[in-house]
Amino acid sequence: MLPMMNERSRTRVLIVDDHPMIRQMVSLACRNHPRMEVVGEASNGAEALELCRRLRPDVLVLDLLIPRLDGIEVARRLQEDGSATRILVLTGADDKASVFEALRVGAAGYGEKTASIEHIVAAIEAVADGTKVFTVEQERQAHEHLGEFARKARDTAKVLASLTPRERDVLGLIAEGLSTRQIANRLRMSERTAETHIGNIYQKLQVKTRLQALYRAAGLGLVTRE
Amino acid sequence: MQTPMPGESGELRLLPPTIGVIVVDGFPVVGAALTLLIEAEPDLKVLASASSARETLEAVRRLSRRSGVVAVVGLNIEGEENSYWLIRRIRDDFPRLPILAIGSNGDPMAVSRALFFGTDGYLHKSAGPEVFLEAIRRTAQREVVLEGLPSDWLVPIAEGIDVQKEWASRLTDREQQVLTVAAQGLTARQIGSRLGVRERTVTTHLSRIYKKLGAEGRVHAIDRAARSGLISLRGQ
Repeated sequence: MLPMMNERSRTRVLIVDDHPMIRQMVSLACRNHPRMEVVGEASNGAEALELCRRLRPDVLVLDLLIPRLDGIEVARRLQEDGSATRILVLTGADDKASVFEALRVGAAGYGEKTASIEHIVAAIEAVADGTKVFTVEQERQAHEHLGEFARKARDTAKVLASLTPRERDVLGLIAEGLSTRQIANRLRMSERTAETHIGNIYQKLQVKTRLQALYRAAGLGLVTRE
Repeated sequence: MQTPMPGESGELRLLPPTIGVIVVDGFPVVGAALTLLIEAEPDLKVLASASSARETLEAVRRLSRRSGVVAVVGLNIEGEENSYWLIRRIRDDFPRLPILAIGSNGDPMAVSRALFFGTDGYLHKSAGPEVFLEAIRRTAQREVVLEGLPSDWLVPIAEGIDVQKEWASRLTDREQQVLTVAAQGLTARQIGSRLGVRERTVTTHLSRIYKKLGAEGRVHAIDRAARSGLISLRGQ
Protein backbone atom coordinates (compact mmCIF):
# COMPACT_ATOMS: atom_id res chain seq x y z
CA MET A 1 0.00 0.00 0.00
CA LEU A 2 1.49 3.29 -1.05
CA PRO A 3 1.04 6.36 1.08
CA MET A 4 -1.19 8.69 -0.81
CA MET A 5 -1.15 11.58 1.59
CA ASN A 6 -0.03 14.66 -0.12
CA GLU A 7 0.33 17.52 2.34
CA ARG A 8 -1.48 20.01 0.15
CA SER A 9 -4.16 17.61 -0.97
CA ARG A 10 -7.67 17.66 0.34
CA THR A 11 -8.82 15.42 3.15
CA ARG A 12 -10.98 12.65 1.75
CA VAL A 13 -13.79 11.72 4.11
CA LEU A 14 -16.13 8.72 4.22
CA ILE A 15 -19.20 9.09 6.44
CA VAL A 16 -20.92 6.13 8.07
CA ASP A 17 -24.15 6.44 10.03
CA ASP A 18 -27.51 4.75 9.77
CA HIS A 19 -29.30 8.04 10.29
CA PRO A 20 -29.55 10.01 7.03
CA MET A 21 -29.84 13.27 8.96
CA ILE A 22 -26.50 12.84 10.67
CA ARG A 23 -24.85 11.83 7.39
CA GLN A 24 -26.26 14.86 5.63
CA MET A 25 -25.26 17.20 8.39
CA VAL A 26 -21.66 16.01 8.55
CA SER A 27 -21.48 15.79 4.79
CA LEU A 28 -22.70 19.34 4.32
CA ALA A 29 -20.23 20.67 6.85
CA CYS A 30 -17.36 18.85 5.13
CA ARG A 31 -18.41 20.10 1.70
CA ASN A 32 -18.37 23.64 2.99
CA HIS A 33 -14.82 23.16 4.21
CA PRO A 34 -12.19 24.28 1.69
CA ARG A 35 -9.84 21.37 2.33
CA MET A 36 -12.31 18.49 2.69
CA GLU A 37 -13.96 16.27 0.21
CA VAL A 38 -16.69 13.71 0.93
CA VAL A 39 -15.90 10.60 -1.09
CA GLY A 40 -18.78 8.47 0.10
CA GLU A 41 -21.48 7.63 2.60
CA ALA A 42 -22.64 4.35 4.05
CA SER A 43 -25.53 3.37 6.29
CA ASN A 44 -24.33 0.01 7.61
CA GLY A 45 -21.14 -1.73 8.63
CA ALA A 46 -20.76 -4.11 5.72
CA GLU A 47 -21.15 -1.29 3.22
CA ALA A 48 -18.77 0.86 5.23
CA LEU A 49 -16.08 -1.80 5.14
CA GLU A 50 -16.52 -2.35 1.42
CA LEU A 51 -16.40 1.37 0.58
CA CYS A 52 -13.49 2.02 2.88
CA ARG A 53 -11.44 -0.75 1.32
CA ARG A 54 -12.23 0.51 -2.15
CA LEU A 55 -11.97 4.27 -1.67
CA ARG A 56 -9.24 4.40 0.97
CA PRO A 57 -10.38 7.69 2.49
CA ASP A 58 -8.09 9.70 4.76
CA VAL A 59 -10.73 9.84 7.47
CA LEU A 60 -13.61 7.52 8.24
CA VAL A 61 -16.34 9.11 10.36
CA LEU A 62 -17.83 6.07 12.00
CA ASP A 63 -20.97 5.54 14.04
CA LEU A 64 -20.79 2.56 16.42
CA LEU A 65 -24.39 1.39 16.57
CA ILE A 66 -24.99 0.50 12.94
CA PRO A 67 -26.62 -2.55 11.39
CA ARG A 68 -24.93 -5.58 9.83
CA LEU A 69 -21.49 -5.05 11.36
CA ASP A 70 -21.10 -2.76 14.33
CA GLY A 71 -18.63 0.10 14.15
CA ILE A 72 -16.07 -1.53 16.43
CA GLU A 73 -16.02 -4.60 14.21
CA VAL A 74 -15.57 -2.45 11.10
CA ALA A 75 -12.61 -0.71 12.76
CA ARG A 76 -11.15 -4.03 13.88
CA ARG A 77 -11.24 -5.43 10.36
CA LEU A 78 -9.68 -2.30 8.89
CA GLN A 79 -6.97 -2.55 11.52
CA GLU A 80 -6.34 -6.15 10.48
CA ASP A 81 -6.08 -4.99 6.87
CA GLY A 82 -3.37 -2.58 7.93
CA SER A 83 -5.55 0.23 6.60
CA ALA A 84 -4.05 3.74 6.71
CA THR A 85 -7.47 5.37 7.07
CA ARG A 86 -7.82 7.25 10.34
CA ILE A 87 -11.02 6.63 12.18
CA LEU A 88 -13.06 9.22 14.01
CA VAL A 89 -15.79 7.52 15.99
CA LEU A 90 -18.92 9.65 16.10
CA THR A 91 -21.53 8.12 18.32
CA GLY A 92 -24.30 8.58 20.82
CA ALA A 93 -22.76 5.86 23.01
CA ASP A 94 -20.52 7.34 25.67
CA ASP A 95 -20.18 4.30 27.92
CA LYS A 96 -16.79 3.16 29.19
CA ALA A 97 -16.77 -0.05 27.19
CA SER A 98 -17.33 1.76 23.88
CA VAL A 99 -14.53 4.24 24.48
CA PHE A 100 -12.24 1.43 25.56
CA GLU A 101 -13.04 -0.69 22.52
CA ALA A 102 -12.60 2.28 20.20
CA LEU A 103 -9.12 2.90 21.59
CA ARG A 104 -8.31 -0.78 21.34
CA VAL A 105 -9.16 -1.02 17.69
CA GLY A 106 -6.98 1.97 16.97
CA ALA A 107 -9.54 4.74 16.52
CA ALA A 108 -7.84 8.13 16.25
CA GLY A 109 -10.63 10.02 17.92
CA TYR A 110 -13.93 9.78 19.71
CA GLY A 111 -16.63 12.35 19.22
CA GLU A 112 -20.09 12.45 20.62
CA LYS A 113 -23.13 13.29 18.54
CA THR A 114 -24.11 15.90 21.09
CA ALA A 115 -21.10 17.99 20.00
CA SER A 116 -21.59 20.98 17.72
CA ILE A 117 -20.95 20.54 14.03
CA GLU A 118 -17.96 22.93 14.29
CA HIS A 119 -16.44 20.62 16.88
CA ILE A 120 -17.01 17.61 14.70
CA VAL A 121 -15.37 19.25 11.70
CA ALA A 122 -12.45 20.36 13.89
CA ALA A 123 -12.13 16.76 15.09
CA ILE A 124 -12.03 15.48 11.50
CA GLU A 125 -9.30 18.00 10.71
CA ALA A 126 -7.30 17.06 13.79
CA VAL A 127 -7.58 13.35 13.09
CA ALA A 128 -6.51 13.94 9.48
CA ASP A 129 -3.43 15.77 10.80
CA GLY A 130 -2.51 12.78 12.92
CA THR A 131 -3.69 14.12 16.25
CA LYS A 132 -5.48 11.82 18.67
CA VAL A 133 -8.82 13.24 19.68
CA PHE A 134 -9.76 11.79 23.06
CA THR A 135 -10.70 13.90 26.03
CA VAL A 136 -9.08 13.39 29.43
CA GLU A 137 -12.43 12.14 30.66
CA GLN A 138 -12.64 9.58 27.86
CA GLU A 139 -9.16 8.30 28.63
CA ARG A 140 -10.13 7.98 32.26
CA GLN A 141 -13.23 6.02 31.28
CA ALA A 142 -11.15 3.69 29.15
CA HIS A 143 -8.72 3.10 32.02
CA GLU A 144 -11.58 2.41 34.32
CA HIS A 145 -12.90 -0.17 31.94
CA LEU A 146 -9.54 -1.91 32.00
CA GLY A 147 -10.38 -3.07 35.53
CA GLU A 148 -13.62 -4.66 34.37
CA PHE A 149 -11.88 -6.09 31.34
CA ALA A 150 -9.27 -7.76 33.56
CA ARG A 151 -11.92 -9.09 35.91
CA LYS A 152 -13.83 -10.65 33.07
CA ALA A 153 -10.66 -12.16 31.62
CA ARG A 154 -9.86 -13.66 35.01
CA ASP A 155 -13.33 -15.19 35.39
CA THR A 156 -13.24 -16.57 31.87
CA ALA A 157 -9.81 -18.09 32.36
CA LYS A 158 -10.89 -19.68 35.60
CA VAL A 159 -13.93 -21.33 34.08
CA LEU A 160 -12.06 -22.37 30.94
CA ALA A 161 -9.20 -23.88 32.90
CA SER A 162 -11.71 -25.96 34.82
CA LEU A 163 -13.24 -27.39 31.63
CA THR A 164 -11.63 -30.40 30.00
CA PRO A 165 -10.89 -30.14 26.26
CA ARG A 166 -13.85 -32.45 25.67
CA GLU A 167 -16.17 -30.29 27.74
CA ARG A 168 -15.06 -27.25 25.75
CA ASP A 169 -16.05 -29.05 22.54
CA VAL A 170 -19.42 -29.89 24.02
CA LEU A 171 -19.97 -26.31 25.20
CA GLY A 172 -19.16 -25.06 21.72
CA LEU A 173 -21.84 -27.32 20.28
CA ILE A 174 -24.39 -26.31 22.93
CA ALA A 175 -23.70 -22.77 21.79
CA GLU A 176 -24.47 -23.78 18.22
CA GLY A 177 -27.86 -24.90 19.45
CA LEU A 178 -27.38 -28.63 18.99
CA SER A 179 -29.47 -31.12 20.95
CA THR A 180 -27.86 -33.69 23.22
CA ARG A 181 -28.35 -36.36 20.57
CA GLN A 182 -26.82 -34.18 17.87
CA ILE A 183 -23.87 -33.38 20.12
CA ALA A 184 -23.37 -37.09 20.77
CA ASN A 185 -23.45 -37.84 17.04
CA ARG A 186 -21.11 -35.04 16.15
CA LEU A 187 -18.54 -36.05 18.76
CA ARG A 188 -19.05 -39.79 18.22
CA MET A 189 -20.01 -40.57 21.76
CA SER A 190 -23.05 -42.13 23.38
CA GLU A 191 -25.91 -39.88 24.41
CA ARG A 192 -25.26 -40.97 27.95
CA THR A 193 -21.68 -39.69 27.77
CA ALA A 194 -22.81 -36.41 26.23
CA GLU A 195 -25.31 -36.01 29.05
CA THR A 196 -22.58 -36.57 31.61
CA HIS A 197 -20.40 -33.93 29.95
CA ILE A 198 -23.28 -31.48 29.86
CA GLY A 199 -24.00 -32.13 33.54
CA ASN A 200 -20.38 -31.45 34.41
CA ILE A 201 -20.36 -28.26 32.37
CA TYR A 202 -23.50 -27.02 34.14
CA GLN A 203 -21.86 -27.68 37.45
CA LYS A 204 -18.71 -25.80 36.50
CA LEU A 205 -20.64 -22.86 35.09
CA GLN A 206 -22.91 -23.00 38.14
CA VAL A 207 -26.10 -23.15 36.11
CA LYS A 208 -29.09 -25.46 35.92
CA THR A 209 -30.49 -25.14 32.41
CA ARG A 210 -29.17 -25.01 28.90
CA LEU A 211 -30.37 -21.45 28.44
CA GLN A 212 -28.59 -20.35 31.59
CA ALA A 213 -25.47 -22.13 30.40
CA LEU A 214 -25.63 -20.23 27.14
CA TYR A 215 -26.05 -16.87 28.81
CA ARG A 216 -23.29 -17.58 31.26
CA ALA A 217 -20.96 -18.76 28.52
CA ALA A 218 -21.76 -15.69 26.42
CA GLY A 219 -21.26 -13.41 29.40
CA LEU A 220 -17.84 -14.91 29.95
CA GLY A 221 -17.03 -14.49 26.29
CA LEU A 222 -16.66 -18.25 25.83
CA VAL A 223 -19.06 -18.27 22.94
CA THR A 224 -19.95 -15.38 20.69
CA ARG A 225 -23.47 -14.32 19.96
CA GLU A 226 -23.82 -13.63 16.28
CA MET B 1 -15.58 11.24 71.87
CA GLN B 2 -18.51 9.46 70.37
CA THR B 3 -19.27 5.99 71.53
CA PRO B 4 -18.84 3.50 68.74
CA MET B 5 -21.92 1.45 68.00
CA PRO B 6 -21.72 -2.06 69.35
CA GLY B 7 -21.68 -4.80 66.79
CA GLU B 8 -19.65 -7.83 65.97
CA SER B 9 -18.75 -6.70 62.53
CA GLY B 10 -16.92 -3.69 63.87
CA GLU B 11 -18.01 -1.95 60.69
CA LEU B 12 -20.33 0.59 62.21
CA ARG B 13 -18.59 3.88 62.63
CA LEU B 14 -19.79 7.32 63.45
CA LEU B 15 -16.72 9.33 62.62
CA PRO B 16 -15.68 10.06 59.06
CA PRO B 17 -13.85 6.90 58.17
CA THR B 18 -10.10 6.71 58.13
CA ILE B 19 -8.66 4.59 55.38
CA GLY B 20 -6.58 1.77 56.82
CA VAL B 21 -3.60 0.71 54.74
CA ILE B 22 -1.70 -2.55 54.62
CA VAL B 23 1.72 -1.77 53.20
CA VAL B 24 3.51 -4.59 51.41
CA ASP B 25 6.89 -4.36 49.74
CA GLY B 26 9.65 -6.89 49.22
CA PHE B 27 12.13 -4.34 50.55
CA PRO B 28 11.39 -3.42 54.18
CA VAL B 29 13.13 -0.06 53.74
CA VAL B 30 10.73 0.88 50.96
CA GLY B 31 7.83 -0.30 53.12
CA ALA B 32 9.05 1.90 55.98
CA ALA B 33 9.34 4.91 53.70
CA LEU B 34 5.83 4.41 52.33
CA THR B 35 4.55 4.03 55.88
CA LEU B 36 6.05 7.38 56.90
CA LEU B 37 4.49 9.04 53.91
CA ILE B 38 1.06 7.56 54.59
CA GLU B 39 1.11 8.22 58.33
CA ALA B 40 1.66 11.91 57.72
CA GLU B 41 -1.87 12.12 56.29
CA PRO B 42 -4.72 12.67 58.75
CA ASP B 43 -7.16 10.45 56.88
CA LEU B 44 -4.81 7.52 56.27
CA LYS B 45 -3.44 5.05 58.77
CA VAL B 46 -1.06 2.14 58.32
CA LEU B 47 -2.56 -0.91 60.01
CA ALA B 48 0.11 -3.40 59.06
CA SER B 49 3.31 -3.63 57.12
CA ALA B 50 4.72 -6.78 55.54
CA SER B 51 7.54 -7.88 53.27
CA SER B 52 6.38 -11.38 52.39
CA ALA B 53 3.21 -13.00 51.10
CA ARG B 54 2.68 -15.01 54.29
CA GLU B 55 2.94 -12.02 56.57
CA THR B 56 0.57 -10.13 54.33
CA LEU B 57 -2.08 -12.84 54.29
CA GLU B 58 -1.88 -13.03 58.06
CA ALA B 59 -2.44 -9.28 58.34
CA VAL B 60 -5.25 -9.32 55.80
CA ARG B 61 -6.97 -12.13 57.68
CA ARG B 62 -6.58 -10.33 60.98
CA LEU B 63 -8.08 -7.15 59.51
CA SER B 64 -10.69 -8.82 57.37
CA ARG B 65 -13.59 -7.59 59.45
CA ARG B 66 -12.59 -4.00 59.19
CA SER B 67 -13.97 -1.87 56.42
CA GLY B 68 -12.16 0.88 54.61
CA VAL B 69 -8.93 -1.05 54.24
CA VAL B 70 -6.65 -0.92 51.19
CA ALA B 71 -3.68 -3.15 50.45
CA VAL B 72 -0.75 -1.45 48.74
CA VAL B 73 1.33 -4.23 47.22
CA GLY B 74 4.79 -3.83 45.73
CA LEU B 75 5.36 -6.20 42.82
CA ASN B 76 8.89 -7.05 43.91
CA ILE B 77 8.28 -10.07 46.13
CA GLU B 78 10.03 -12.95 44.38
CA GLY B 79 9.85 -16.70 44.44
CA GLU B 80 7.11 -19.22 44.59
CA GLU B 81 4.86 -17.08 46.76
CA ASN B 82 5.59 -13.91 44.88
CA SER B 83 3.58 -10.70 44.63
CA TYR B 84 1.32 -12.07 41.90
CA TRP B 85 0.60 -15.22 43.87
CA LEU B 86 -0.25 -13.01 46.83
CA ILE B 87 -2.57 -10.83 44.75
CA ARG B 88 -4.38 -13.91 43.47
CA ARG B 89 -4.78 -15.25 47.00
CA ILE B 90 -6.14 -11.98 48.33
CA ARG B 91 -8.51 -11.69 45.37
CA ASP B 92 -9.80 -15.24 45.86
CA ASP B 93 -10.11 -15.19 49.64
CA PHE B 94 -10.98 -11.53 50.26
CA PRO B 95 -12.74 -10.37 47.12
CA ARG B 96 -13.76 -7.07 48.64
CA LEU B 97 -10.35 -5.83 49.71
CA PRO B 98 -9.12 -3.22 47.22
CA ILE B 99 -5.53 -3.71 46.07
CA LEU B 100 -3.24 -1.07 44.63
CA ALA B 101 -0.13 -2.53 43.00
CA ILE B 102 3.02 -0.46 42.83
CA GLY B 103 5.86 -1.34 40.52
CA SER B 104 8.82 0.03 38.67
CA ASN B 105 8.61 -2.22 35.66
CA GLY B 106 8.98 -0.58 32.28
CA ASP B 107 6.89 -3.22 30.57
CA PRO B 108 3.13 -3.05 30.02
CA MET B 109 2.93 -6.82 30.56
CA ALA B 110 3.71 -6.32 34.26
CA VAL B 111 0.64 -4.09 34.49
CA SER B 112 -1.48 -6.57 32.53
CA ARG B 113 -0.37 -9.30 34.84
CA ALA B 114 -1.11 -7.35 38.01
CA LEU B 115 -4.59 -6.44 36.77
CA PHE B 116 -5.27 -9.94 35.55
CA PHE B 117 -4.23 -11.44 38.87
CA GLY B 118 -6.62 -9.12 40.62
CA THR B 119 -5.32 -5.69 41.57
CA ASP B 120 -7.69 -2.77 41.26
CA GLY B 121 -5.01 -0.42 40.06
CA TYR B 122 -1.37 0.08 39.26
CA LEU B 123 0.87 2.93 40.22
CA HIS B 124 4.30 3.32 38.71
CA LYS B 125 6.93 4.14 41.30
CA SER B 126 7.92 7.20 39.33
CA ALA B 127 4.66 8.89 40.40
CA GLY B 128 5.01 11.66 42.98
CA PRO B 129 3.99 11.34 46.67
CA GLU B 130 0.74 13.29 46.21
CA VAL B 131 -0.28 11.07 43.34
CA PHE B 132 0.54 8.01 45.44
CA LEU B 133 -1.56 9.18 48.39
CA GLU B 134 -4.44 10.19 46.16
CA ALA B 135 -4.23 6.79 44.46
CA ILE B 136 -4.75 5.10 47.84
CA ARG B 137 -7.87 7.18 48.46
CA ARG B 138 -9.22 6.49 45.01
CA THR B 139 -8.52 2.79 45.34
CA ALA B 140 -10.46 2.78 48.62
CA GLN B 141 -13.40 4.06 46.56
CA ARG B 142 -12.84 1.11 44.21
CA GLU B 143 -11.75 3.33 41.39
CA VAL B 144 -9.40 1.82 38.84
CA VAL B 145 -6.21 3.81 39.26
CA LEU B 146 -3.51 3.72 36.63
CA GLU B 147 -0.88 6.35 37.27
CA GLY B 148 2.58 7.08 36.04
CA LEU B 149 2.04 5.12 32.82
CA PRO B 150 2.31 6.38 29.25
CA SER B 151 -1.19 6.92 27.88
CA ASP B 152 -0.47 4.81 24.83
CA TRP B 153 -0.03 1.77 27.07
CA LEU B 154 -3.74 1.11 27.22
CA VAL B 155 -3.72 -1.03 24.10
CA PRO B 156 -0.67 -3.14 25.00
CA ILE B 157 -2.01 -3.59 28.54
CA ALA B 158 -5.33 -4.84 27.16
CA GLU B 159 -3.50 -7.14 24.77
CA GLY B 160 -1.38 -8.41 27.65
CA ILE B 161 -4.53 -9.23 29.61
CA ASP B 162 -5.76 -11.25 26.64
CA VAL B 163 -2.46 -13.14 26.55
CA GLN B 164 -2.73 -13.84 30.27
CA LYS B 165 -6.26 -15.07 29.80
CA GLU B 166 -5.27 -17.31 26.94
CA TRP B 167 -2.50 -18.98 28.92
CA ALA B 168 -4.29 -19.12 32.21
CA SER B 169 -7.31 -20.70 30.59
CA ARG B 170 -5.14 -23.56 29.48
CA LEU B 171 -3.70 -24.43 32.87
CA THR B 172 -5.50 -25.04 36.14
CA ASP B 173 -4.27 -23.24 39.26
CA ARG B 174 -2.58 -26.44 40.41
CA GLU B 175 -0.83 -26.88 37.09
CA GLN B 176 0.37 -23.29 37.19
CA GLN B 177 1.70 -23.89 40.66
CA VAL B 178 3.52 -27.05 39.58
CA LEU B 179 5.03 -25.21 36.64
CA THR B 180 6.15 -22.32 38.85
CA VAL B 181 7.96 -24.72 41.19
CA ALA B 182 9.33 -26.71 38.27
CA ALA B 183 10.83 -23.46 36.95
CA GLN B 184 13.12 -23.44 39.95
CA GLY B 185 14.86 -26.51 38.59
CA LEU B 186 13.60 -29.04 41.11
CA THR B 187 13.15 -32.75 40.37
CA ALA B 188 9.67 -34.24 40.29
CA ARG B 189 10.28 -35.73 43.71
CA GLN B 190 11.38 -32.39 45.14
CA ILE B 191 8.39 -30.67 43.58
CA GLY B 192 6.18 -33.33 45.14
CA SER B 193 7.52 -32.84 48.61
CA ARG B 194 7.32 -29.07 48.24
CA LEU B 195 3.66 -29.24 47.28
CA GLY B 196 2.80 -32.19 49.49
CA VAL B 197 1.89 -34.60 46.71
CA ARG B 198 3.41 -37.82 45.35
CA GLU B 199 6.12 -37.82 42.71
CA ARG B 200 3.79 -39.70 40.40
CA THR B 201 1.16 -36.98 40.66
CA VAL B 202 3.77 -34.39 39.75
CA THR B 203 4.85 -36.23 36.61
CA THR B 204 1.22 -36.59 35.59
CA HIS B 205 0.73 -32.85 36.06
CA LEU B 206 3.88 -32.08 34.12
CA SER B 207 3.00 -34.21 31.13
CA ARG B 208 -0.46 -32.68 31.02
CA ILE B 209 1.10 -29.21 31.17
CA TYR B 210 3.47 -30.00 28.28
CA LYS B 211 0.57 -31.23 26.25
CA LYS B 212 -1.57 -28.21 26.97
CA LEU B 213 1.22 -25.78 26.18
CA GLY B 214 2.31 -27.70 23.13
CA ALA B 215 5.79 -27.96 24.65
CA GLU B 216 8.28 -30.73 24.13
CA GLY B 217 9.65 -30.84 27.61
CA ARG B 218 10.21 -28.96 30.78
CA VAL B 219 12.65 -26.34 29.53
CA HIS B 220 10.47 -25.63 26.53
CA ALA B 221 7.33 -25.34 28.67
CA ILE B 222 9.01 -23.03 31.19
CA ASP B 223 10.43 -20.90 28.43
CA ARG B 224 7.06 -20.48 26.79
CA ALA B 225 5.30 -19.78 30.06
CA ALA B 226 7.91 -17.27 31.17
CA ARG B 227 7.85 -15.41 27.87
CA SER B 228 4.11 -15.03 28.06
CA GLY B 229 4.29 -13.79 31.63
CA LEU B 230 2.34 -16.75 32.94
CA ILE B 231 5.10 -17.46 35.43
CA SER B 232 8.00 -15.31 36.46
CA LEU B 233 11.47 -16.71 36.85
CA ARG B 234 13.42 -15.97 39.97
CA GLY B 235 15.72 -13.00 39.69
CA GLN B 236 13.80 -11.36 36.89
